[in-house]
Amino acid sequence: MLSVKNLHASVEGKEILRGINLEVRAGEVHAIMGPNGSGKSTLASVLAGNEKYTVTEGSVEVLGRDLLSLPVEERARMGLFLGFQYPVEIPGVTMANFMKMAVNEQRKYRGEEPLKANEFLRLMREKSAVVELDSKLTSRAVNEGFSGGEKKKNEIFQMAMLDPKLAVLDETDSGLDIDALRIVATGVTKLHTKDNATVVITHYQRLLDYIVPDVVHVLYKGRIIYSGDKTLAQKLEREGYDWLINDYKE
Amino acid sequence: MKLLEYIAHGAAGESEILVNPTREVRRIGAGGRMSLVVVHATAAPSSLEVELGEGASLHLVEAFCGEAMASCRVRQAASSRCEITSVVTGSAEADYAIDLDGSGAENTLRGAFIAGGAERVRFGLRVSHNKGCCTSNSVVKGVAGGTASCEFNGLVYVAQDAQQTDARQTSRNIVLGNDARIVTKPQLEIYADDVKCSHGATVGQLDDEAILYMRQRGLSEAQARRLQIEGFVRDIVSQAGSLSDALAEELTAKLEEL
Repeated sequence: MLSVKNLHASVEGKEILRGINLEVRAGEVHAIMGPNGSGKSTLASVLAGNEKYTVTEGSVEVLGRDLLSLPVEERARMGLFLGFQYPVEIPGVTMANFMKMAVNEQRKYRGEEPLKANEFLRLMREKSAVVELDSKLTSRAVNEGFSGGEKKKNEIFQMAMLDPKLAVLDETDSGLDIDALRIVATGVTKLHTKDNATVVITHYQRLLDYIVPDVVHVLYKGRIIYSGDKTLAQKLEREGYDWLINDYKE
Repeated sequence: MKLLEYIAHGAAGESEILVNPTREVRRIGAGGRMSLVVVHATAAPSSLEVELGEGASLHLVEAFCGEAMASCRVRQAASSRCEITSVVTGSAEADYAIDLDGSGAENTLRGAFIAGGAERVRFGLRVSHNKGCCTSNSVVKGVAGGTASCEFNGLVYVAQDAQQTDARQTSRNIVLGNDARIVTKPQLEIYADDVKCSHGATVGQLDDEAILYMRQRGLSEAQARRLQIEGFVRDIVSQAGSLSDALAEELTAKLEEL
């Protein structure tokens, strides 16, 4: 599904990713953890195709295609979804209108007919239930005036609408109270199948109580320095990162 | 022009429709109501004057395409209400002069101009609070692409004895690319001391973060840009009643050219 090899990336001349290797297969959930500033969000942005970052070395394949040669929208259309850490407000553009365009662009890419109005409305109703998103929010402008929890639910709602092959969720748990966290995390779990894969980037273990990862990676100074099973997350929660990163401190 | 088709199909309802007026004067008696739709589709000078009697109300929708030079003067007596929606989609000069001549008069103006190619737009707005206890609220949004050059000149004037004036004027603009220009000059001229006045002006670019966000969901860059601009001017046309859809389409058609 996803194959990252020796990925190096920099922003404004500063190298952030310094040789990432990551293999994610269909049906798997991977968690990427690590202290602040280790490059977690940069990895998500580079995978999505944010042009602010320059890839200086390495390769990324998704579904057998060279991801790095594709523009942002084409990555999205082939089934890559990024859940933003800070979802963007777009005044004047309703969620319904935005999602209709997005869904139909992706259908067009797959050679499918655009959805009819009633089919689209049914899809919206069905998918907003996945994250208990108030259906009134879909008639409001994208993320405008949404609470922190609503914004994150809205990310997972969009993920449900677009049904991606590979979802990368960048700190979807940050800024959530315990109820919103449960709803968001349960939503992600519901969307998980044997044919798709999810990479969850998080600071805290608590998200992983709901979304049980197959593999947990620790990212530090732009490299994955340690990988383990789900018990690694619990150990990190108890003991912090120090025992792992001491060897890498300069 | 889509708007004229809409009007031909009755979208203007009971409103009086003026197409390419040269000189028009209307008086609305005390307590009277008037709804006017004005379309400027030719490169000709035009002047419109409306006088509102006490408690009268005016709803005016004005659309500019073609290179019109139009002035619109509105005089409002006490407790009258006037709502103006003005949409400019091409080179034009639009000049509004609002006089609030009686206590308790209210004026709301929502304006949008979109210019591309080598078009020129001048949008002028003078709101004069000549008597106290009047309210005015103006929002004018501009978008310029290509090598277009646009100007917004706004003035809120508050006379010496116009106490308890509540006046707001906002000019918000988006410039696309390096060759387009929007100059905005909002001004306040206040001679009374017990007033609530605010004005603000911004000239910015499209929000790159929002464009990235939309592209990440599968929209092309062009679609994302257009959607953002549509969203930007959406609230200007959304209050134009039965003509909202027509004006929105007019703007969308214009965006295709940018």
